[in-house]
Amino acid sequence: MPDAVISASNLCVDVQTKKILKNVSFNANRGEVLALLGGNGAGKSTTIKTFLGLMKPTSGSVWLDGVDVQKAPDIVRQKVAYLPESVMLYGHLTAIENIQYFLSLSGKDKSETEIVAALQRVALQESAWRAALSGYSKGMRQKTAIALALLREAPILFLDEPTSGLDPVAIDEFNRLVSQLAAQGATILMVTHDVYGACHVANRIGLLRDGEIVGMFDAPEQGNIDSEAVHKAFTQGVVA
Amino acid sequence: MSWSDIRRETAFVLRKKSVSLLLVAACALALFSVWTGSVEVAQQEATIERLLEGDKADREEVTHKHHAYGYIAYYTFHLTYAPPSPLAFAALGVRDVYPWKHRIRMLALEGQIHESDTQNPELSLAGKIDFTFVIAVFAPLILILLLHDLRAAERAAGRHDFLIVMARTHGSLWPLRAGLIVLGLWLALILPFIGGAIVNGVPIWQMAAVCAVVLVYLLFWSLLCYWVARFTFPAPVLASLLLGIWLATTYIIPSVGNVAIEEAYHGPEGGDILMTQREAVNDAWDLPHQTTMDAFVVSHPEWQGKTETSSLFEWKWYYAFQQVGDENARPLFQAYQQIAEQRYEAAGWVALLSPATLFKRTLTRWADTDAKAAWQYERDIRTFHAELREFYYPFLFNGSEYNEESLAERPAFQPNNTNKYPGIFH
Repeated sequence: MPDAVISASNLCVDVQTKKILKNVSFNANRGEVLALLGGNGAGKSTTIKTFLGLMKPTSGSVWLDGVDVQKAPDIVRQKVAYLPESVMLYGHLTAIENIQYFLSLSGKDKSETEIVAALQRVALQESAWRAALSGYSKGMRQKTAIALALLREAPILFLDEPTSGLDPVAIDEFNRLVSQLAAQGATILMVTHDVYGACHVANRIGLLRDGEIVGMFDAPEQGNIDSEAVHKAFTQGVVA
Repeated sequence: MSWSDIRRETAFVLRKKSVSLLLVAACALALFSVWTGSVEVAQQEATIERLLEGDKADREEVTHKHHAYGYIAYYTFHLTYAPPSPLAFAALGVRDVYPWKHRIRMLALEGQIHESDTQNPELSLAGKIDFTFVIAVFAPLILILLLHDLRAAERAAGRHDFLIVMARTHGSLWPLRAGLIVLGLWLALILPFIGGAIVNGVPIWQMAAVCAVVLVYLLFWSLLCYWVARFTFPAPVLASLLLGIWLATTYIIPSVGNVAIEEAYHGPEGGDILMTQREAVNDAWDLPHQTTMDAFVVSHPEWQGKTETSSLFEWKWYYAFQQVGDENARPLFQAYQQIAEQRYEAAGWVALLSPATLFKRTLTRWADTDAKAAWQYERDIRTFHAELREFYYPFLFNGSEYNEESLAERPAFQPNNTNKYPGIFH
């Protein structure tokens, strides 16, 4: 049983005859942000879905907080907040009602005051709080989902392209939130193709290409990961 | 699963316009069926009341006009009827195919019973829009509409995985959501029935039994829909699959079964019995009286020695050839009844492959509106007609003087299923 909060060990996932993930291994400890960088089809979302128990490993294993995901998916999901790339909350419900619904579904009970505080924290404009989500832009829906993820108060966060659809100001705000959560002890696995965003918030970056980890970058004691080196490796396949 | 889960999903389900609309539509259909069923039953009861009054008046008129047993027996009609049971409003059954009222005279009986019967349908397919039809045919369709995209709609909206990850337990999501929809549909359908059952005086135990069997029937279709909804096909594909199963089990299997049963069990029809009896009666006019009487005493040896006639027309000869006409038709009737019972049994096996037919069969049995109830009514008529003959024959064959007071002993038809609990309008 690994000590790391998030751990993949020789993870292989095949879909029919296609190998999506090939011997992927990585760890993230408490309070760390691990970003998996990769292009389309690199296997980023498959990695997250395997951790969430939505896909089964062909071989290898994934562990969350010392629990084998395949053996107890319902237990590990209680520890996880998940932010998918394209969040489609219920269009006929308001932001507050959506959050109340999904929190109740996950067994959490939060007051409207706490929900409003979370919506303020993600900078969703007040006029939208009690409007049906069907009239929201993608960025507004994403902010609602981020507020939901915050209210889950889960020790582990999985973020799939979390800044997709957000404006630059909202992206900065989001990155700041991620850093805050990590500082409070949350362990975060983020998959993205946003090199600069990842370098800004992650303690470690794994470069995923064709289902394999081809590079791993660790942040120095002070400051961020060198985005130029990561960008070069990402675009040119050169790993220092 | 907690109360919080139930409250959440209940609020969620009720806020979905499509679900609310379908539940309201189901309730409206059930209300309509209960109303039409109750109206039909009330009309049948009013018809019986009207005929009973007319029957009494006719009898008094005949008694006033005629002063001989032969004439009185000839001209007097006796109303026989099978009153609708309290539950008949919910399952009208085959009461429109099999007669439930006959005005019987002491003539040959088989012709009187079968004069409106030209075919012998045992497996009713699409029926009237009564409560049984709404449940058997429409309720599965509504369930399919409600449940086929339970998961597919979420998958199409990109929410499916998110919901699974968010759900505290599997049971607090899909099974709970589906269960609440089914419960809502059951209530939408059963509340109008309970209202109708109270109005029509259905006993509590029978009301509870109907509620339970409706729930079991809905659960069958719900489990099927739930199982199919797990497949990762688009919603239209899942709906088509479920509609195919509904069509096959509700219409195709019963239709094919009906054709197979008709092919497997051949027998005489009501028209054959009618013709045989009438030909025997008509032929008797041209036969020597003693030929008829010899045939008559075979089944009625007690009148041996009292069958001689001295004029061209005598009532005892007339009623004797009516009886002989019935006896000539008896083998045909027995074969008809045997085939009908065999077809009914075979239809029972077919019903095992068709939940809708099985449901209809169950409810019409409980409501005494099926073929078995119709046969019981025919048996009641035969028993009553035999009692009439037993009453008149001594007067006719003994040549008794007419005595109006003796008519007080004349049998009167009493229907079997009169056990009615007091309803609001009864």
